[in-house]
Amino acid sequence: MSLYESSVRKPVMTALIFIGVVILGLFSLNKLPIDLLPKIETNTIMVMTTYDGASASDIETNVTRPLESSLNTVANLKSIKSTSKENRSIITLEFNYGLDIDVVTNDIRDKLDLVSSFLPTGVGKPIIFKFSTDMIPVIMLTATADKSLPALYQILDDNVANPLARIKGVGSVSITGAPKREIQVFVDPVKLEAYHLTVESLAQYIRMENINTPAGSMDVGSETYSLRVEGEFKSAAEINKIVVGSSDGKTIYLSDVANVNDYLEERNQKSFTNGIQASTIIVQKQSGSNTVEIADAVQKQLPIIQKNLPPDVKLSVIMDTADNIKQTISGLTETVIYAFLFVVLVVLFFLGRWRATVIIILTIPISLIAAFIFLGATGGSLNIISLSSLSLAIGMVVDDAIVVLENITTHIEKGSRPKSAAVNGTNEVAVSIIASTLTIIAVFFPMTLITGAAGILFGQLGWMVTIIITVSLICALTLTPMLASQLLQLNPYRSKMFNKIYSPIEQFLDGMDSKYATIVNWSVRHRKSIVAFTTIFFILSIIPAKFIGTEFYPAQDNGRIALTLELPIGTRSDITIEIAKKMTEQWKKKYPEMSMINYSVGQASSSNVWGSFQANGSNLASFSIGLKPLSERKRSMFEICDSLRIDILQIPEIRKSNVIAGGGMSMMGGQSTLDVEIYGFDFIETDKIASQLSKGLKNVNGLVNTRVSREEYTPEYQVEFDREKLASNGLNINTASNYLRNRINGLTASLFREDGQEYNIKVAYAPEYRQSIEAIENILIYNSRGQAIRLSELGKVVERFTPPTIERKNRQRLITVSSTVSGTTLDKAVEGINVELKKINIPSNVYVTIAGSYKDQQESFGDLGTLLLIIVMLVFIVMASQFESLTYPFIIMFSIPFAISGVVLALGVSGSTLNMMSFVGLIMLIGIVVKNGIVLVDYINLNRERGMGVIRAVVNGGESRLRPVIMTTLTTILGMLPLALSNSQGSEMWKPMAITVIGGLTVSTMLTLIIVPTLYTMFAASGIKRQHRKNKKLAALNQANKLDN
Amino acid sequence: MKSIFIAFDQAYYDQIIALLSTNHVRGFTEWESVKGRGSKTGEPHFGSHAWPSQNSAIITIVDDVKIKPILADLRDLDATSKQMGIRAFVWNIEDGM
Repeated sequence: MSLYESSVRKPVMTALIFIGVVILGLFSLNKLPIDLLPKIETNTIMVMTTYDGASASDIETNVTRPLESSLNTVANLKSIKSTSKENRSIITLEFNYGLDIDVVTNDIRDKLDLVSSFLPTGVGKPIIFKFSTDMIPVIMLTATADKSLPALYQILDDNVANPLARIKGVGSVSITGAPKREIQVFVDPVKLEAYHLTVESLAQYIRMENINTPAGSMDVGSETYSLRVEGEFKSAAEINKIVVGSSDGKTIYLSDVANVNDYLEERNQKSFTNGIQASTIIVQKQSGSNTVEIADAVQKQLPIIQKNLPPDVKLSVIMDTADNIKQTISGLTETVIYAFLFVVLVVLFFLGRWRATVIIILTIPISLIAAFIFLGATGGSLNIISLSSLSLAIGMVVDDAIVVLENITTHIEKGSRPKSAAVNGTNEVAVSIIASTLTIIAVFFPMTLITGAAGILFGQLGWMVTIIITVSLICALTLTPMLASQLLQLNPYRSKMFNKIYSPIEQFLDGMDSKYATIVNWSVRHRKSIVAFTTIFFILSIIPAKFIGTEFYPAQDNGRIALTLELPIGTRSDITIEIAKKMTEQWKKKYPEMSMINYSVGQASSSNVWGSFQANGSNLASFSIGLKPLSERKRSMFEICDSLRIDILQIPEIRKSNVIAGGGMSMMGGQSTLDVEIYGFDFIETDKIASQLSKGLKNVNGLVNTRVSREEYTPEYQVEFDREKLASNGLNINTASNYLRNRINGLTASLFREDGQEYNIKVAYAPEYRQSIEAIENILIYNSRGQAIRLSELGKVVERFTPPTIERKNRQRLITVSSTVSGTTLDKAVEGINVELKKINIPSNVYVTIAGSYKDQQESFGDLGTLLLIIVMLVFIVMASQFESLTYPFIIMFSIPFAISGVVLALGVSGSTLNMMSFVGLIMLIGIVVKNGIVLVDYINLNRERGMGVIRAVVNGGESRLRPVIMTTLTTILGMLPLALSNSQGSEMWKPMAITVIGGLTVSTMLTLIIVPTLYTMFAASGIKRQHRKNKKLAALNQANKLDN
Repeated sequence: MKSIFIAFDQAYYDQIIALLSTNHVRGFTEWESVKGRGSKTGEPHFGSHAWPSQNSAIITIVDDVKIKPILADLRDLDATSKQMGIRAFVWNIEDGM
């Protein structure tokens, strides 16, 4: 018994199996997490190493280079980038996608262990981070405090950051703008000198006085008492009373030579939200973890956390990335529902029968829900890709069911009983629907084989559609015949009301059939003109292709802007704050769309992970701006960004700025960037080229935000010790430089303990004594003999300029000139850059290349191009095996060029670009458009086998197949229409794909309906003529033979 | 004793079995799928791409009196749909065991 026969004979079993599938699917759906994109295992690992006090070039030679040469041997490495800056070396390793990142991390750890013994002493242990710098925060909180301000950092660290960091998937929790408490002992060097004291000895005294000692235990009477000395300071004021020596018989107290302040760290980052100073807590996720889950978990924790905080500390959420994702997903869900409704209407329109419509429509939820089982089983999520594949598939899943049901109906109309009609009707079309489903699978399955970043996105699309279509085929072969056998009747009753509504539709459809028959009849008799006409149409339609630009991914408006303002190096932080404040006030008025403006200024402390990866400094203000939801504003994020860039140009103090639309989200979504990488060892040479290029790029239309990666050279004072003088005084560089450091940077003498918390006690020169070169030159350095020597006698202080960061990629120094593409397309921008590059004279030891989105796009387009060819071949193979012929697939393939015409026209008219999404749309079209051809040619062949002449077979076949062709095409087009028209958050992403499919399918279907019958007639006619000639020859031969005899 | 050979579109199977039992015929022999074409009208039943439908055939040996009612019933059934087709032929049976 065949599949459909047993399902018709066992309706209960069939129904229950599908109900079981639906229940399982709904169960999985219930558990599916929501995310923006399919889970992407991170492919970047960062290694951060600190070396306090080292300059960028020291870091480069002593830390970055040895680490790089060791890490370079890790397998599967794609690129290695490094940034060496003051105190810190950051190496970013990029791997191929699809690796087990834990294994890679272990490899890296091994390599680091090997090399760590060769690093200079004082270098911190390299720390491995499994996330990339461009990860935007998942959620941003602010904390305002009143009385608790001095202890705010400690409070937030203990009560907020720690519990949040424990949430699964959280990468780091950073606190910005909450100053840390510190006990500062500010020393007066003049008095110190007078009393022959040093910073080191003061620190020693403090350390000695701040001690608790257990003295053992003693027995008193029958009990044992323990004995202790509690010497630790109970308050900061006690430090004042430490005796640090005596002079002329008088005791010298610490307060005589120094000021003790119980205050906040000197250099810290200040953070402002909507103009009010508050500390900002930033939660970042590990790459690959689920944003929505983390954000929800954080939101759930907040009330509990708030309870544990002092009453004057108020926490509030200022930005939640999950909102954007949730909106995107709900927008997409809406399009799925609309697509469903459209498909129902189309089916009802063509069939005019409620029961038949219900039978067909049932395949939609079943196949879609079955896909949720796949998502649930593979740990997938509801994201842009999985939901848009549902939307794509809705129009296609009904196709098989329509063909089956149509044939069953024909059988019933012939007089067959529903049960046997269901079995026989399905039997007749089973092979052809399997073949047409295979052509769709031939398109989508190869998508699962793409590698790289595109593979993660389109792999899921490929799997989803393959599974949905396969389930829909199974449905069409089992459920549809079963339901048809149960529900369909011969000549169903039609109410008057129904007749009134439906008869005009019926008349229209009949009219359409006969009109089409006339057209086909004319075209098959004017084959040459039709071929000429379509060729001309094709050539003309391809012309607009010249004006369609290319892009990598469509830019997506997620309502987030990241912005950095850079004032001249060395600007004090209060001046930077003032300017940032002014800008905030101005923007608040000018852009009512902004719902949140947060900025921070100043040097980030080393415990602040988020801050230390950002560019920071007293001259830098980093903004994070949130916009209102898309529906509540008129201007797009990109327009606002362009306008912001103009605003910034008007402020002369700002040296450099960077406005990133989309907040610098990784992978896709933001605007495309174009990086020109200039490789070369010599700073001066590469700097010259970079500045020439960045000047030149200002003339290129559509390139904005041009910036050079190498920061401005920082002026710095260097103390050059004279080794001979040091040696003659019994000193070495190490001792001398430590003296210097302890006085300027300060020496942590001990820890002050209060309420279980520890705070540093720092001894340093009072600020007024470290503001001039003279002050540095006057520093006294003591040698082992106790002699004091002034620093000016040991060396000199000189002013120098050094590059603050040294960037390297693949172990070569480079400088990147990057710019954002806005208002033009990627290919045109690249053209512009190439023109500018030609104008610059590049020496032979410098190498220039264009990277950024352009490189990614080139690689991905190359992959997709290969995929396109493979798919065309696979589709041909499927068709050729079905028809057991090479001619028919060849004829059907002619619908593909017209699909391309349609795509070009649709993209041209809608002003879209050719990007990854529209390219994928084009690939999908191949499978979809040949389906129409298959249906037509199959039926024409059938007619011929039934003994009709070629032309009659073609005209009749066309006439009777018009409705199924139009119907399946309309379901696909209307199923995608909501995707193409939607304006919800994130719609920029899937719009191009839907536009491509709609345009290509519309044009291709219209022309396929003409060109396929015409070409069929041409080939058949020449075949018949050949046969005739052969017959004639044979007859002549026979005649000759007879004569011979 | 006479035999009736009935060739019919597969879709008629259930009805023909029912028809035989209402005429008190118990025994029969059936071929599930046979191919064929009518002499004058009707669609061919070839099980091919062009003519996908197939026939079944039943032969049953019955008493002479049962022949007429069975043929009458078959004719009625055939009249319900001209496109599917039923044909029946009657032979004499010489002997049996």
